[in-house]
Amino acid sequence: MKNRLLSTMATLMFATVSLVIIGCSSGDDSSIGDTGDAASRAYVAPGKYDEFYNFVSGGFSGQLAVYGLPSGRLFRVIPVFSVDPEKAWGYSEETKPMLMTSHGFVPWDDFHHPELSMTDGVPDGKWIFGNANNTPRVARIDLAEFRTKEILEIPNSSGNHSSPFTTENSEYVVAGTRFSIPIPNEDVPIADREKFRGALSFIKVDKTTGHMELAFQLLVPGFDYDLAHAGKGPSHDWMFFSCYNSEKAASMQEINASQNDKDFIAAVNWKKCEEYVAQGRAKEMAATYAHNIFDDATQTARHTMKTSVKVLDASELSDIIYYMPTPKSPHGCDIDPSGEFIVGGGKLATVIPVMSYSKMIKAIEAKKFDKMIDNIPVLNYKECLAGEVQKPGLGPLHTEFDGNGYAYTSMFVSSEIVKWSLKDFSVVDRVPTYYSIGHLMIPGGDSKKPYGKYVVAYNKITKDRYLPTGPELTQSAQLFDISGDKMKLILDFPTIGEPHYAQAVPATLIKDKSKKIYPLAENKHPYMVKSEKETRVERKGNEVHVYGSAIRSHFKPDNIEGVRVGDKVFFHVTNLEQDWDVPHGFSIIGNNNSELLIMPGETLTVTWEPKRAGIHPFYCSDFCSALHQEMTGYVRVSPAGSNVPLSWNK
Amino acid sequence: MTLHRILAMLATVAVLTSCGANSETKTDTAADMPKAEKKVYGKITKVDVGPTIDESMVKSGHEVFETKCSACHKMDERYVGPALGTVATRRTPEYVMNMILDTETMIQNDDTVKCLLQEYLVQMPNQSVDEKDARNVLEYLRKEGAERQ
Repeated sequence: MKNRLLSTMATLMFATVSLVIIGCSSGDDSSIGDTGDAASRAYVAPGKYDEFYNFVSGGFSGQLAVYGLPSGRLFRVIPVFSVDPEKAWGYSEETKPMLMTSHGFVPWDDFHHPELSMTDGVPDGKWIFGNANNTPRVARIDLAEFRTKEILEIPNSSGNHSSPFTTENSEYVVAGTRFSIPIPNEDVPIADREKFRGALSFIKVDKTTGHMELAFQLLVPGFDYDLAHAGKGPSHDWMFFSCYNSEKAASMQEINASQNDKDFIAAVNWKKCEEYVAQGRAKEMAATYAHNIFDDATQTARHTMKTSVKVLDASELSDIIYYMPTPKSPHGCDIDPSGEFIVGGGKLATVIPVMSYSKMIKAIEAKKFDKMIDNIPVLNYKECLAGEVQKPGLGPLHTEFDGNGYAYTSMFVSSEIVKWSLKDFSVVDRVPTYYSIGHLMIPGGDSKKPYGKYVVAYNKITKDRYLPTGPELTQSAQLFDISGDKMKLILDFPTIGEPHYAQAVPATLIKDKSKKIYPLAENKHPYMVKSEKETRVERKGNEVHVYGSAIRSHFKPDNIEGVRVGDKVFFHVTNLEQDWDVPHGFSIIGNNNSELLIMPGETLTVTWEPKRAGIHPFYCSDFCSALHQEMTGYVRVSPAGSNVPLSWNK
Repeated sequence: MTLHRILAMLATVAVLTSCGANSETKTDTAADMPKAEKKVYGKITKVDVGPTIDESMVKSGHEVFETKCSACHKMDERYVGPALGTVATRRTPEYVMNMILDTETMIQNDDTVKCLLQEYLVQMPNQSVDEKDARNVLEYLRKEGAERQ
């Protein structure tokens, strides 16, 4: 207790010091140490379900984490853009094609923003999209299986940051470039930065299958397109992208891209773009990009390369994009549930600007333009402004909405969440976060109908919040109850990787349609076996294909002879179980690949190239039954050129 | 499936039941006899098998058996699970159907099944067989049983 008191005091002192240094905002610290009541509000009893699924990007882990709210319990890490040897993601023959790009196999990426598919402006629980920031890609993850089903590379883009935000019915998922580059990319001096351009990509999503196609790209001035959100209701036809570096700096951006008093929110009329494309006004441009789809029937990913993309040049077409001046180096770009307010998170601004959609339309109709940039009208700030949130704190980044007339903005520099009214833009509450909040999330908080109840802070720094673990500390989430007038901190929980954006929906939207098994009758994998009778081993030159099976608790075959050094052995293992939560593992000594983790009814393949003669055991690496330790087998490997016949047990 | 869950289940079984050795091989014990008054666990409460054997059902049942059961059961020898050549003559039709369709309920409640788990140690998986297929498997096992009488 004494230690706890000391630590609380230390925390208080730190918070106080922070506030003193910042000098203006006065935090309400009442939530610190408010543990008794808080514990019960975040408590989910053993065996009970959480109320919400919380999907949190893994940032530099490249994966998507799934937590429960309010407990903060981690349920699953879904591999998306990075290999995962635990699940054989990027190691099995079936999943390797998912990570293919125009640069070849890319084993890692930086996943920033998950975005749920929507119908009528609210999450429909079908899919969640994710962006790869480094090698630009968008992924689609299926929410019945919690698996990545499709990855589409984005050409003419570099730093896919303003992505993958979707329109109200997921007609499109967008992908705006953070780093402008020459389009088409070519070998030019970096001093030619002035000529670089940006691309805002619109990906069409099939309503039934979810399949993605790059419908068109809008070529725009070479700023850094940072974040986005779609309009709603009256602003349905519009997508809004924040952009900074209107200075077009190529070096020392922290100084050189922070010169202008205002940068922009780009308002793109995607309906109009769609019309132009339909009228044939888009140009077909050569481009090389990967499209990878996981086929459910064969349980195998297919990788194809695309060769062209339709582009609309914003400098040659009118009525499709307008720049709204926004102070200063705006980051977040968030639309309130009504679709009227567009909130810019000016990282370096001293206010939070709230733009009005209806005023923007009036300004466009009245052609009240301050100037043109590359033939794109720049609107007047005051003409579009609904109001400014005064003295919100320092470093506004992102805003979410509770559906009850309030907005919540994360303040990175002053480490706090600020709650303000959408009626008069006045601050009504503020609460410290520990420390340096980036994104924040309210369940459904970027949709037409927020569920409210909680806001979660995703923090960049934890310092003294958890037991030390050497130089690298966990990052964290903090859960606040927002059901009352005052935000109340009720839980801290550590996160994987670095959490950026997140989404949450009521568990009822997803849990009952969760897939339990893959029916064997539907398995069309070319190397599957329907029963042990079909298990066999075949040689094709130096390739050896094992058509194997696994069931509690044995492999068939489990003794194989006639494999030679220099062979490439393909273990195609079908899990014959048809019961929920009974995966089997497969691992063999010295493999330069990962294990397999095979779900009931699934077939997975791992390759193994034995280096030396001898007896090589394999075993099940997922504890499957009381006789799991007995679930093993042997492969006899003979020297290259040996004439030991290929044989196996039935 | 965690080790804890399995151990907990085994412990429960050990405490609550007392089983004769090799209960499956002794076909004359009371627990093994198909008794109409024995409590039925699982969702199938009554199966009318009829006096004859339906060959088309046997054929379908054999196919399902090959895919979903044969990895652990043979007809005339103990394998991962018990030999099933005479199971239809030793157990009630309801028992056979519930073992396939409502495996977890049977493992947790039926005294015979509890004893079998002690002997074989591997829990029989629920193989997601539908009721029609389970009935066909029963018919196939009836045929196998009849051939062995």
